Amino acid sequence: MDQIIQVAVLGIGLGGVFALMGSGLSLVFGVMRIVNLAHPSLIIGGAYIAYWGFKLYGIDPLIMLPVCAVILAVTGILFYKAFFERDAKSATYSEMTVLLTFAIAMIVEGALGAAFSNTQRVTSPVYATDAFFIGDVFIPKGQLYAGIVSIMIIGLLAAFLKYSRLGYAIRATTQNREAAALLGVNVNMVGLMSFAIGIGLAGAAGALTSFVFSFFPAKHWEWVAILMSLVVMGGMGSILGTVIAAFSLSIVAAFVGTWIGSTWSTMTFFLALFLVLLFRPQGLFGEKPELV
Amino acid sequence: MSDFLTVKGVTAGYGDGPAILDDAHMTVQKGKVHCIIGPNGAGKSTLMKAIAGMLPLRKGEIAFKGENIAGQRPDQMLRRGIAFVPQERALFPKMTVRENLKMGGYILNNDKALTSRIDEIFDRFPILKERADQHAGTMSGGQQQTLAMARTLILRPEVVMFDEPSLGLAPKIVREMFGIVRMIADTGVTVLLVEQNAVMGLKNADWGVVLDLGRTLFEGPSTEVLADPRIQELYLGGRRAA
Repeated sequence: MDQIIQVAVLGIGLGGVFALMGSGLSLVFGVMRIVNLAHPSLIIGGAYIAYWGFKLYGIDPLIMLPVCAVILAVTGILFYKAFFERDAKSATYSEMTVLLTFAIAMIVEGALGAAFSNTQRVTSPVYATDAFFIGDVFIPKGQLYAGIVSIMIIGLLAAFLKYSRLGYAIRATTQNREAAALLGVNVNMVGLMSFAIGIGLAGAAGALTSFVFSFFPAKHWEWVAILMSLVVMGGMGSILGTVIAAFSLSIVAAFVGTWIGSTWSTMTFFLALFLVLLFRPQGLFGEKPELV
Repeated sequence: MSDFLTVKGVTAGYGDGPAILDDAHMTVQKGKVHCIIGPNGAGKSTLMKAIAGMLPLRKGEIAFKGENIAGQRPDQMLRRGIAFVPQERALFPKMTVRENLKMGGYILNNDKALTSRIDEIFDRFPILKERADQHAGTMSGGQQQTLAMARTLILRPEVVMFDEPSLGLAPKIVREMFGIVRMIADTGVTVLLVEQNAVMGLKNADWGVVLDLGRTLFEGPSTEVLADPRIQELYLGGRRAA
């Protein structure tokens, strides 16, 4: 029994971090129809900022988190202005963004590699290697803190979307872009803000990731598949769906890793993606495409 | 009467495509219900979109209270008091009825005023109050249409335009929709309708406008339009193959 609780606890901690990683991706897809393959590479960019903040100045990654978020949000705005805005009205925008963000991911990876080499890094605040014990269940502090902070950020995001004026505009634009524009929403500005928030969330996730996983510039290839499976399973563009998928799959992956073997735990995400695409292609919370 | 809202010689189309409207004109009188009719592809919806600022005019003029408003954006039209409900109703399916109404007053940017206006809407449309916290997408077609029409009233517009409010609704519900249209007009709001079913549309309107191939064939009091032999020819004459 203790082992089951133990594995579940580890799964939940990771689930929180994956949920945060995926929610930014989901937001950007939902509002903008951008399939952002560069999202995980930007998370790694955020992780490097937190890493150097700690290494050079001894700043705790949890304190670096807002800094990472703001730097990445600004980067997001620049990327959007430079690469995305001009094609926003194209009928094949989503398809084009797959290629575009793939290229951005490679450029970010190359730039990070050139600047910081391909060495594995991990930020090492004291708590990253410490743990609580409740009975025989051990709870690594790093994962616990990262999980709690992720959930708090997602909670803030949800409250922002639910209650703020910009949040209303973002939800409305996600659900019906033309109708939102008709009611006076500046949908281009909403798109830009959503992109900035989404990439900012990648920065925040990067700060947390920096002490939970070891990372290097090419690590994003491992995550892009996992995050895509979460977003697809959640129902493209549904943040709630992404969060639920992140928690449930992380917990399952933790059990798979313990009982079957750690090499198989990543397989959980792909198997789930495969099953979802077979039996419920619109995802858990997605809309069935209408056949009109 | 003609200086309220007039459409003159409007030519417009989508993107670089052919002109859908070609020299359309229309006279809109304050506080009346106007019905735009015509065969499929006549340009009825396009005319509404042109007035709503959703597509640029290639030629022509739209004058509202003596001012040419052609070329303005939809939100600018909204601020001037011209609201539009497109054919697909334009609701936010995963937002509640109340949230949809709030979005209707988005440009007000004043929570207090918005809350009291939503309460007014709830008084006028009790069904929406009952369903206030239900997602719009889970309501029946008639309720969704009611919400879409009620949502335009939040900004207290002078002109509302409904593109085929009867689309996909059962006859009994369609009668209810026309009841709502009349109720809106009775409060002094000018209504423009597009209707596929010409007879039903004209019977519920004061003024009829007949479009064909993007051009206004004629307009006049709806009883006269209804009795006009050209209507018979347009719909039954078989001048154009189906």
